[in-house]
Amino acid sequence: MKEKTQVVDIDRSRYDFRYEEDESEYLESGIAPEIIKAISDEKNDPEWMREFRLKSLEIYDHTPMVDWGPDISGLNVDSIVAYIRQKNRMKTDWEDVPEDIKETFEKLGIPQAERESLAGVGAQYDSELVYHNVRQEVAQSGVVYTDLESAMHDPKYADIIKSHFMKLVPPTDHKFAALHGAVWSGGSFVYVPKNVHLDIPLQSYFRLNAKGAGQFEHTLIILEENSYLHFIEGCSAPKYYEASLHAGCVELYVGKGAKLRYSTIENWSKNMYNLNTKRALVEENGTIEWVSGSFGSHVSYLYPMSILNGRGASAEFTGITFAGEGQNLDTGAKMVHNAPETSSYMNTKSISKSGGVSTFRSAVVVKENAKGSKSSVNCESLMLDSISRSDTVPVMDIRTKQCDVGHEAKIGRISDETVFYLMSRGLSEEQARAMIVRGFADNVSKELPLEYAVEMNNLIGLEMQGGIG
Amino acid sequence: MINMSEKRINTLPVPTFRWLGVNDYKYDIKEFDTDIKEISVPENESKSEVVYIDSESATDIRISAENGSKIKLVCVFDVQGQARSKVTAELDENASLELVELYLGGDVVSEIVTELKGRKATFEADIGFKLESGDKLDINLIADHFGRKTVSSINAGGVLGGSAEKIFKGTIDFKNGSDGAKGAEKEEVLLLSDEAVNKTVPLILCAEENVEGNHGASVGRIDEKQFFYMQSRGIDEDKIYDLAAQAKLARVISRIDDKETLERINESLGRGEDSE
Amino acid sequence: MSELLRIENLSAAAEDKELLHGVSLEVSEGETHVVMGHNGAGKSTLGSVIMGSPEYKVTGGKLIFNGEDITALGADKRARLGIFLSFQNPIEIPGITLSDFLRNALEQVTGKHLKLWDFKKKLAAAMELLDMDSSYADRDLNVGFSGGEKKKAEILQLLILEPKLAILDETDSGLDVDAVKTVSKGIEEYKKRTNGALIVITHNTKILEALTVDKTHILSAGSIVSEGGAELVDEVIENGFEQFAGRE
Repeated sequence: MKEKTQVVDIDRSRYDFRYEEDESEYLESGIAPEIIKAISDEKNDPEWMREFRLKSLEIYDHTPMVDWGPDISGLNVDSIVAYIRQKNRMKTDWEDVPEDIKETFEKLGIPQAERESLAGVGAQYDSELVYHNVRQEVAQSGVVYTDLESAMHDPKYADIIKSHFMKLVPPTDHKFAALHGAVWSGGSFVYVPKNVHLDIPLQSYFRLNAKGAGQFEHTLIILEENSYLHFIEGCSAPKYYEASLHAGCVELYVGKGAKLRYSTIENWSKNMYNLNTKRALVEENGTIEWVSGSFGSHVSYLYPMSILNGRGASAEFTGITFAGEGQNLDTGAKMVHNAPETSSYMNTKSISKSGGVSTFRSAVVVKENAKGSKSSVNCESLMLDSISRSDTVPVMDIRTKQCDVGHEAKIGRISDETVFYLMSRGLSEEQARAMIVRGFADNVSKELPLEYAVEMNNLIGLEMQGGIG
Repeated sequence: MINMSEKRINTLPVPTFRWLGVNDYKYDIKEFDTDIKEISVPENESKSEVVYIDSESATDIRISAENGSKIKLVCVFDVQGQARSKVTAELDENASLELVELYLGGDVVSEIVTELKGRKATFEADIGFKLESGDKLDINLIADHFGRKTVSSINAGGVLGGSAEKIFKGTIDFKNGSDGAKGAEKEEVLLLSDEAVNKTVPLILCAEENVEGNHGASVGRIDEKQFFYMQSRGIDEDKIYDLAAQAKLARVISRIDDKETLERINESLGRGEDSE
Repeated sequence: MSELLRIENLSAAAEDKELLHGVSLEVSEGETHVVMGHNGAGKSTLGSVIMGSPEYKVTGGKLIFNGEDITALGADKRARLGIFLSFQNPIEIPGITLSDFLRNALEQVTGKHLKLWDFKKKLAAAMELLDMDSSYADRDLNVGFSGGEKKKAEILQLLILEPKLAILDETDSGLDVDAVKTVSKGIEEYKKRTNGALIVITHNTKILEALTVDKTHILSAGSIVSEGGAELVDEVIENGFEQFAGRE
């Protein structure tokens, strides 16, 4: 009677197509001063950036590998190609984007999404942005959405970038932050002026097509006082046998009373080491909202940090992680309360099946000056079989008496009772289980824009599919 | 006392972000002669032990409980200076361990590792603390569920005043094969000072589908509704905190039935025979 | 009237403990049967075993539905054949709305795709009949519903799914007078619309008032100890179960 749903590997054909890259466009693999200098030359870096890259490399060389978290011994950074030159400069007209790249993004639905519901779109292919465009009315409101390299050379933004770039995530943060500082390429710069509310989202899509390569995009977003932005990023890559590396960096500055929502659907292929760093600094009465779906990657280390730096600042993190066969996904969030009356909420779900390992890892720090602060964490894990693994590793560090910190965690399975109830109404066991998992993930999909919620439900459906017995 | 050396103990079963300083306890302190105490409980028998630690020392208590046996261990720590304690237990089928630990002061490092080996073994831990300036406490409690239908329930709570520092690491580990196991963990901490440091690290590790694990924690001030209710009855803030602190400890103290131990605890808490 | 369900000498156990010992009964199309007995007599077990709950193991005997041996079938297959169980304690399903759930179930049971608009109309009508606020359609299934709302939601599902045989497991317990009336109205409507058969597991008569009872079965310690017509219900209410304990 108690047969288990066999879950097959996800049909990833939608993501797995790929195009041959031209070998001559690769820089040599590995991380050495010559490679870093070559990247600087390629990008015509300003002097401070040249120095920054080399300094970061030095830090990288002296920083030990992480000694906690999932095993990354399968990743040999020296064999990763850090930079792949694009044959053409970035385009602002979709028709001008090279045919193979255009086709890639069209299959992923990017231009279509832009036409329908976005204020602006950026698309990165391997190391460089290949397309960037914002709607005219958005540009007229003073919103800047461009690639970081162009902005760095624009006298209007050069200073602002210099004073913000890797200030929240310094290269000394950890080894892969140092690596990022040395080889970063591509990514977006977004600036939203005071009192500007962008009602429709901006989106960036990252595609790593090349084999054995790394993607190191840098996203820098600055929201001035009382502004609002929803930023969406999506990522995918075709599957290769060689390890790929994603060590991007996201730095978000949320000004007084401003609100930023940052949504991510990550669906890297299962040969990807996803060692991404995301951090937000939130000023007085500002709000950061993270929505994060982690489905892909072989190994992930991903814990967006919110630093609540002004009175009344708040942060919310909603996340789901689905670890299937061959995946070790270590995800969660960090909340640092560094001002009075700040609040943070974390709500996460994780699912493990077919030998997948998921770990929820969190830190809530309430400093002595964060009087009157509140924090609440709620994490739930679902085990779909006994060959998988699910760990919950939260830490609370509390240093003021005037606060309320709550934490709840639950781990369990789909109860036979619930499956029976659904089956008694005519659903097959497989359908019943898929429905329960969808329901389990509902609080996250509710937070996503519709087309992403549909995408996520499809991913869950695919993961749960397969014959009984 | 033999020598001075740096050691790492109380290691978290799954390490986490290093900057939080919770992965292990590094000590560069006196080495004590360890007082080893072995407690074995034969099949279907019951035992009860009390250990009162009131001086600098290292204690190592090793429990083995055979099928169907019951052991209750009460440990009270009330030290001026440093103390280290380790309790390890192996529980066979249907065996049960009831552990009551009360920390009233000192610089204490305490490790508790219980292996629930046999089917339906149960582990119940009640841990209370009342710490003041100068007190430090690092607890690393691990419940390893190996057997089917094993049950663990961990209740910790207490108050931190002055510049007291406390880390409570509590791990429920469902090993593969612990089919039908249940584990629950709860910690409630009341902070009485802005200099106190509280770290709470409740882990659930799971390699088995058919288990139920829960943990909950609340840290900070008294629940607003309770506070208002007591205030509305005319009680002032200091007294409310006092009452709440007493309540936190009372839960643990009520589990201790040894009269002499209770007298010593009451004396240490500064309440004479007139209380309770 | 032709036979719908035949239970042949059915025994069932949970966790190695036998709870039903050789129960036999027959239900024909459109009939209403009442099952009564003490707490723990095996009434709910019988209902759950007919539905195919994995909690119980059939240790002997057979279940025949519409001429087909369903003893080994899963609950979903039984539902598709036209069996419905109104749960004594309906399960909460977070994240799935009542409306989504029921539409899915209906498509499974009928094997037909239903237009969203048509379904919504059908659902709204049934909810109105049951005095259910329309907002319940968009709430997560049974989550945070009161005891009465949960039971109404079960009857709502009965009305939408229109099974051939409905087992009502203490659908009336814990309901106030008005709620019992509403639920009874739903059951009447089901009978009127489909002429489906009913097995009503109950402790009291309120829910039976609007129904024509064909047969009554008294269960005690896992066996049927007495059977009769509608009159048996009144006898039980008047004199209790004790008198049946020794009969057989």
